[in-house]
Amino acid sequence: MTGLYIHIPFCRSKCYYCDFYSLAGNTELLGSYVDALLKEVQIHSGMAFDTLYIGGGTPSLLDVAGLEKLAEGLHQHFDLSGLREATIEANPESACPAFMQAALKCGFNRLSLGAQSLNDGELAKAGRIHTSAQALEAVKTAIKSGFSNVSTDVIIGLPGQTEVSLEDTINRLAESGVSHLSAYCLSVEEGTPFACRPPRDLPDDDRQADLYTKACGLLKGHGFIHYEISNFALPGKESLHNLNYWKGGEYLGLGPFSASYLDGRRVKNIATLQEYLDNPLSCRLEEDSVSATARPAEEAMLRLRLLEEGLDLRLLERKYGMDNVCGLETRLEELAVRKLLVRQDNSYRLASDAVLIANQAFAQVIE
Amino acid sequence: MNNIRNFCIIAHIDHGKSTLADRILEITGLIRKASMEQMLDSMDLERERGITIKAKSVRIPYRSPSGAEYVLNLIDTPGHVDFNYEVSRSLNACEGAVLLVDATQGVEAQTIANANLALDAGLKIIPVINKIDLPGAMIDDCSLQLYSMLGLPIEDMLHVSAKDGTGVPGLLEAIVDRIPPPVGEASGLLRCLIFDSFYDSYRGVIPHLRVFTGEIKPGDRIMLKSTQKDFDVEEVGYFSLGLAQSGSLKAGEVGYAVALIRDAGEIRVGDTVVAADHPEVEAIPGFRLSQPMVYCGVYPIITSDYAKLGTALEKFKLNDSSVTFEKESSAALGWGYRMGFLGLLHMEIALERLKREYEQEIIATMPSVVYKVVSKNGDVLMLDNPSKFPPEGQIDHIEEPMIRARIIVPAGFVGPCMELAEAKRGTLASMEHPDDRRAILSYDLPLAEMITDFYDRLKSVSRGYASMDYEMSGYRAADLVKVDILVNNGQVDALSYIAPRDRAAVKGKALIYRLSKVIARHQFKIPLQAAIGSQIIARADIYPMRKDVLAKCYGGDITRKRKLLEKQKEGKKKMKMVGFVEVPQEAFLSLMKIEE
Repeated sequence: MTGLYIHIPFCRSKCYYCDFYSLAGNTELLGSYVDALLKEVQIHSGMAFDTLYIGGGTPSLLDVAGLEKLAEGLHQHFDLSGLREATIEANPESACPAFMQAALKCGFNRLSLGAQSLNDGELAKAGRIHTSAQALEAVKTAIKSGFSNVSTDVIIGLPGQTEVSLEDTINRLAESGVSHLSAYCLSVEEGTPFACRPPRDLPDDDRQADLYTKACGLLKGHGFIHYEISNFALPGKESLHNLNYWKGGEYLGLGPFSASYLDGRRVKNIATLQEYLDNPLSCRLEEDSVSATARPAEEAMLRLRLLEEGLDLRLLERKYGMDNVCGLETRLEELAVRKLLVRQDNSYRLASDAVLIANQAFAQVIE
Repeated sequence: MNNIRNFCIIAHIDHGKSTLADRILEITGLIRKASMEQMLDSMDLERERGITIKAKSVRIPYRSPSGAEYVLNLIDTPGHVDFNYEVSRSLNACEGAVLLVDATQGVEAQTIANANLALDAGLKIIPVINKIDLPGAMIDDCSLQLYSMLGLPIEDMLHVSAKDGTGVPGLLEAIVDRIPPPVGEASGLLRCLIFDSFYDSYRGVIPHLRVFTGEIKPGDRIMLKSTQKDFDVEEVGYFSLGLAQSGSLKAGEVGYAVALIRDAGEIRVGDTVVAADHPEVEAIPGFRLSQPMVYCGVYPIITSDYAKLGTALEKFKLNDSSVTFEKESSAALGWGYRMGFLGLLHMEIALERLKREYEQEIIATMPSVVYKVVSKNGDVLMLDNPSKFPPEGQIDHIEEPMIRARIIVPAGFVGPCMELAEAKRGTLASMEHPDDRRAILSYDLPLAEMITDFYDRLKSVSRGYASMDYEMSGYRAADLVKVDILVNNGQVDALSYIAPRDRAAVKGKALIYRLSKVIARHQFKIPLQAAIGSQIIARADIYPMRKDVLAKCYGGDITRKRKLLEKQKEGKKKMKMVGFVEVPQEAFLSLMKIEE
């Protein structure tokens, strides 16, 4: 499997928790940004992809013409005949019917909507610029337009969030017809407004744990499968593009601060938007060299995020060679003894009560 | 020999000993001005702590204004109570001592202790009041204190500023005028005192010698009295700024001898060197093996580094023969070593050097004194490790080592100092008022109290004004119990401690509280308990960690996630696994830091 990720680093305004590379305003640059992307596309011309994901930022800030131009360019230079999933992210305030129609027309079959919460107080405190009504409306429009696979993001641990408000958010989203839900625990990242001025009603780790546990139970009740630490899907609706990351698959990332994993090399493009616009072909690349034994360990760490499927050690042995996996096996065994992992034949999974403290296991898994 | 003067400078800490030594070297022309700060303290750690750990010496050619030529041997002495024995040996190599007192501080506890050692050694004392250039100098008060507390004649006292050199030329004249030259026949039989040694990786252990009678030269066969072992002398010389080879060392001289001595244990400070063909020559009195007073366990953080630690300790001992070490094993910490030290300061310095100079990642357990445990069947056990104590039912009684502490304190702080000493189980032996502003308190205190935080607390209750010195004063029976610490229901032998019965619970609660703060939350609940035998005297729980997970792991930036995890993993490496619990290094020293 090979995935293609395209980053759209534009937002109408920055949310208070966000540390992704994205700039507020500047939407007038979107046109030239698409042109720059298409130049970068050309260097990789001829590659074939199984999944496509356009994320951000806010891809729904692209106008219909821009979106069509981008899609056209992708089809022209890449082999997308085997494409199994094409996702585009949208924010409720900009996910208008015209955008959705255009996305469908361009071949997108999955929409990921940044709902985050259905409590207007929580949304406002997090710097979101839409209401809960807009979020639900966007879900409705997407389904009505013909998206059979709609995902929404929910943040766990927003300032002011309670078990009651979270329950309301989860229940209403689950009932709205979404087939996939990502529930991310809020982490306060350096340099964000939340880090500079932490809100007083920011739930601490213990509260987050309670909220997360609550969300898991509710989603299970709605028939969702908890297939990854932060991801829930109705059967058959797992995100193929993200699964590829967690299974050590290859991917190409385009745009500033996008990451690629090709031919066993992890590379990150570290150009700013302006540098990228000036010349998308001379971007500074930062390579992360991973040793022969660290590579399977890293993949193990990723695969252990898959709660149902877990990690099949045989598979890693075939992929990386016995010699490079034996050290890892010892560490996995230790973790099984510590009951952080559960072993079944040659597979390891995170123990159910270890999901929330998975870093304790992951830190041991990596080299 | 009439032109030789062997002397040392003795002082309380920070009274300016090293500065005076520098100034003497400079004024006599041995070093150029400010070419090097404080020549004699060459170990980094010493300079950092302002303490001279190892005695060193230097030979200074001096031309008196009268035109006479002299050889001054300045023998440096360690400046802390832990090294009292080394000090007394260094003093024995001299005929005189410069007793230095800071004019702004006055006579302090170590001034008295060192002066008494020098008087015992029969040295001529030259009292010197230093730092007279400072605005706060109280020269008259200092003079009176030296007179009333030590009986030194006021007219003998010199006033100097080691910093700017004022009075130092006069001091040099006083040294040659007042200190007698050494006596002893160079034609007699060889008899020298070993007063220090150092290790050279090519030439082995090199003793510092003071020759009393006879002569030592290359080719001689010498014998060490305490071990009766023979060695061939390859080279002798004296200490200039480095080693200066010479044809021989004669009676009255101070210098070194190279004799390819590989084992640092062979050279014992205070031992006597004689000619191998005259073993009958009597030893210089006062020799004893330096006896460790404080012990602690030293363990590698990573269990498999045990062998590496052993090698480092072997090397370390070559440089500091006063430490002892032997293998020990702890159920909680695995294999390690029990190290013995002359005192708490010596321990702190040695552990720091092991970490820095020998690059060992170690955990040190709580220091312990040596208890005398008398069992019901009459056996007497000397135990330096609480975890080795027999069950309480088998113990008839326990005795603990005592010290006699001399505390000098301004009158206004007598109350708080007495309160502190009494809280630390001290009994007042005497109180003197040498003048109306200061008191000298003599307390009998358990050494075990001394090695926790007594000195720090004394400084804090007296706002830094109290000074202290102590000497060992034998054993005394006490109602002591062993307290065990259980982490996650498993006993951690390295945390066991001995406490007076009536204070065991208070200490236990304080320790458990501290442990609960330094041990991080784990995936499971960790009960912490303190127990005497099977009786639990304190308990606290560390609740399970609820959340530690990277939520977002998409967008393909795996590198960043992995780096965060690597950082987390790095932190864990500094922890010691005790059962399934990660215990940070500071936990093992928690007991020292508890405020009661």
